[in-house]
Amino acid sequence: MKKALCTLVTLACLVSLFGGCAAQKEYPIAWSHYTGWEPWDYADAAGILKKWGDKYKIKIKLVRVNDYVESINLFTAKKYYGCAMTNMDALTIPALGGVDSTALIIGDFSNGNDGIVTKNETMVMGLKGKKVKLVQLSVSHYLLSRALSMNGMTEKDLTLVNTSDADIGSVFLSDPAGIAVTWNPILMNVAQSKGVNLIFDSSKIPGEIIDLMVVHSDAPDELKKALVGAWYETMAVMNGGAKAGEALAHMAKSAGTTVDGFKAQLATTAMFYKPGEAAKFARNKKLATTMEYVRTFSFEKGLYGQGNKTKDFVGISFPDGSVLGDRNNVKLRFDDRYMQMAADGKL
Amino acid sequence: MTWRNPHFLGFAARPSKPLRVALGSALFVLCLALYLTASHLRHRDNPQDKILPSFGQMATAVYQMGFQRDTRTGEYLMLVDTASSLRRLFIGVLLAAALGLVLGLNMGLFPGVEALTAVFVTVVSIIPPLAVLPILFIAFGVDEFAKIMLILIGTFPLICRDIYLYTKKLPYEQVIKSLTLGAGAFTTAYRIVLPQVMPRLLEAMRLSFGAAWLFLIAAEAIASTDGLGYRIFLMRRYLAMDVIIPYVFLITALGFAMDVSLKRFVLWRFRWYSGR
Amino acid sequence: MSHHDRFLALENVYKAYDAKVVLDDIDLAVSRGEFCTLVGPSGCGKSTLLRLLLGQEAPTAGAIMLDGAPLGYADTRRGVVYQKYSLFPHLTVLDNVLLGKRITAGALASRAVRSAMRDEAVEYLRRMGMADHAGKYPHELSGGMQQRVAIAQALIMKPQVLLMDEPFGALDPGTRENMQVFILELWEEAGMTVFFVTHDLEEAVFLGTRLLVLSQYYTDGRGDGVQRGARIVADYQIKVASTRSKETADFGAFIAQIRREGFDPECRRHVADFNLRHPDSFHTVSAAELQR
Repeated sequence: MKKALCTLVTLACLVSLFGGCAAQKEYPIAWSHYTGWEPWDYADAAGILKKWGDKYKIKIKLVRVNDYVESINLFTAKKYYGCAMTNMDALTIPALGGVDSTALIIGDFSNGNDGIVTKNETMVMGLKGKKVKLVQLSVSHYLLSRALSMNGMTEKDLTLVNTSDADIGSVFLSDPAGIAVTWNPILMNVAQSKGVNLIFDSSKIPGEIIDLMVVHSDAPDELKKALVGAWYETMAVMNGGAKAGEALAHMAKSAGTTVDGFKAQLATTAMFYKPGEAAKFARNKKLATTMEYVRTFSFEKGLYGQGNKTKDFVGISFPDGSVLGDRNNVKLRFDDRYMQMAADGKL
Repeated sequence: MTWRNPHFLGFAARPSKPLRVALGSALFVLCLALYLTASHLRHRDNPQDKILPSFGQMATAVYQMGFQRDTRTGEYLMLVDTASSLRRLFIGVLLAAALGLVLGLNMGLFPGVEALTAVFVTVVSIIPPLAVLPILFIAFGVDEFAKIMLILIGTFPLICRDIYLYTKKLPYEQVIKSLTLGAGAFTTAYRIVLPQVMPRLLEAMRLSFGAAWLFLIAAEAIASTDGLGYRIFLMRRYLAMDVIIPYVFLITALGFAMDVSLKRFVLWRFRWYSGR
Repeated sequence: MSHHDRFLALENVYKAYDAKVVLDDIDLAVSRGEFCTLVGPSGCGKSTLLRLLLGQEAPTAGAIMLDGAPLGYADTRRGVVYQKYSLFPHLTVLDNVLLGKRITAGALASRAVRSAMRDEAVEYLRRMGMADHAGKYPHELSGGMQQRVAIAQALIMKPQVLLMDEPFGALDPGTRENMQVFILELWEEAGMTVFFVTHDLEEAVFLGTRLLVLSQYYTDGRGDGVQRGARIVADYQIKVASTRSKETADFGAFIAQIRREGFDPECRRHVADFNLRHPDSFHTVSAAELQR
């Protein structure tokens, strides 16, 4: 009896000890499948995230959400501290939802990862009067809108069919007169099929579709530093590190493709492997021009919601202190400081 | 000391009419109160909160969607969405009901037809249509026809099997009786049995509308240019719950109205059926 | 009344379900205008025999003839009243009675024909005492009223033989006696041929001009191991006047005798000793079966 009591007490002590360890605050971070975000999965699997978390005495829990939009919605509902998303979605979902968000890491921009595929037409001009399948109000929609304006057309010239990203590949392929706007890896899969033309892709609007790691602006410094540190260590491994092969194999598997297939996807993704380049991109004046396009598009498509009469309703701030829109209601912040710290080796 | 039925507790409870009304609305009021509280708390933290919009925000959205012409198309979006969805829903369910009635009736009456189709229909009814969507795309495309087909495929097996089992359960005496009254096989099937199966068909349809809504929304989410499901999935892209919640209410109200009116219709039109 | 005309005739009729023999060599001739009642212990095959007559099932062997022509699947030559399910629940009383007329008249019947049919149906309902209930549905009627309508529904088609399967079995005693008197009145009025199955001996004796006892309790020369189906073990001609009163001593003695002959498993008669007294009665049995 006494012995049993002793064991119990010892067990209780042990539990409280481990409990003490687990008392480190845990920060869930969401991501979904996309070429430019696969490194997050590797960073988690290879222990890089844990290493940086330990350094700042926090715990980062990476969660893959199968549905991209749902992951952003959950971020907006503050269920996640950070979430991988594009610049456009960062503006239209969390920022317009009143959640102050910071673009912490500029991972890459789409340089062909998004595109317009057709069965019959060979030019954007040929889309006139046709039915185009796409995920409406997504970056695909933005890409189409830019393609149309570059060819002197508007959306009124065609019919948009909202199509779920889960099905757009099979829907496009089963339609002999199919036209679709989509992104990788679906884009690459369908573009390689016989008789499919890729008539426009994001390499014609470089730097406009930007893939980010967005965190709540009020997230603790430790979390921001740990995330940035882990990311650029992963980038270094990918970009000619000793374990580059292993890392690419892991990411390819996670993306459901071969190493060659994944490399092909990376070729259309302009990755910022060096933190200095990414910080420089954030400081470039062109980013403000891009965000002007994006917010105009978003406003015109009604993404600002029912009550908002002007695209200046929400403010977007840039590293130089300039603001697009309402200076008193800044909800999306491009921040180069942490990337710069990584570049300077100060993390 | 006389014994009285209690008002609320126990098997013998006989709630009075006012109490019944109060009890019936209690859970609705509770849900509403929970929502208003949560919405208020969220808006105090973040005035732009989109997840639990206030009633004011929803009213604005409903006004914009339902009572203002859309700037692009010049139409009332909510009206267009509702009309498109209801059209698909009714065509799909009516087709499923017509096919289910004819096949189920013949399966129940004619052992030859039963042997040919019963096992097949049972197996097909188990296949989840949403799992074989790509095959359906190839077979039916992705336009209106495909949406109607998805509803049809989703609701037909249930209706067909229900009618089949119901027909089979009708006393065989009735078939013999109608033959002694001079009817042939065709007359027996369509003049004697069919009218008896009609109210059951309406009940099967009533129960199928739930599944039909599900398949309608799924079909509209996959590829569409209008419809209630289309709008909800589109709005979800930027978390416009101020539009989505009223749409969900609209769907619920439409579903409830159809349920009640079908029930009433059966009671009124088929007095003999409910009276048995 | 009887003319010994073999109006309805069954010869060497067998019915077996797989290996189980239910009816074993039924021989029966019924004259026109006879009110035949059929009794027997439960499970002996009364209803099976009725289904054969009705054409709901085919005999395994043997021939069934009505007025010289073989009987096939159910048709208008036979009318039927069941204990339940005789009426179509979705039709009003009037429509139930009119149904047969409407079906046989076809969709192209003239207005005059339709109107005549309707008058006829109303007249039938009036005779059944149901004229006031023409617009009601069956579920709104009592059991006795439902059976009156069912009889009208069958009779309006003027069938050559009316088959009744325990038609009053579900009625309460008072209603039942009323219906018994009522069916006798109709029979006397119309002079129809009736084949009436019941499990109630008193009812059978009270109603019938001829009483048939179907039973599996008998012996023959085939030995003990043989699985025997039911046969008609007794066949009485009933003198109408003596049996119209249930209270007499004769009535009770007669019922006791039938009970012994057909319903007692301990009392098995030999094939050669069957009580087949009715003038129409005949029975073909092989020499082997007659061995004691």
